[in-house]
Amino acid sequence: MNAWLLATAVLLTLGMPPCVWAAGRGSAVERLAGLNLATTVVTVVLLLTAQGFDRSSFADLGLVLAVLGPAGTLVFARFLGGRSIEAPDTRRTHGKA
Amino acid sequence: MTARHVCALVLLVVGTGVLLLSAVGLVALPRPFQRLHALTPASTVGGPLVAFALAVETGPGRAAVKLLVIAVIVAFGGAVTAMAIGRATAQHEHLLRKDSPE
Repeated sequence: MNAWLLATAVLLTLGMPPCVWAAGRGSAVERLAGLNLATTVVTVVLLLTAQGFDRSSFADLGLVLAVLGPAGTLVFARFLGGRSIEAPDTRRTHGKA
Repeated sequence: MTARHVCALVLLVVGTGVLLLSAVGLVALPRPFQRLHALTPASTVGGPLVAFALAVETGPGRAAVKLLVIAVIVAFGGAVTAMAIGRATAQHEHLLRKDSPE
């Protein structure tokens, strides 16, 4: 096992569980943070795997995820934010709206 | 073990450490707006540092350029998504007016 695969193992065992935990609890908007961090960690893991196994084609997966991950998060944030602001305000109104 | 390999290992350890700290911060920080602080270091520091480590290890060439492009994409994408999540959270908490600019 080289250093790249060791870093992959560390990230998968110590880095991913908090992301999954954050993406699995709370309201829909709060889960977005866990989803975003999981995307970053998986992108790095794919790049490290490409170097660790000496398969340069695996890096293409990291490139695709680096492009599509933020796009997906933006779509989720747009949908959830727009839906929240159109919902009736049941909380205390902050400021003078 | 060459100097280039040592440099790559140092970048790898620092980048992995930043990613792990961000993951811990995502669980440790209680409020939704505080959790946003755990997202930006991972995407703007941790991910690019690991990609730099891989590029240094690969050496000059087309593969290193691709890794640097991935680092730039991760950094920009992380910053943009952090802003989008912050805005969505503010809308969810009813901190924004309905006629606020997009």
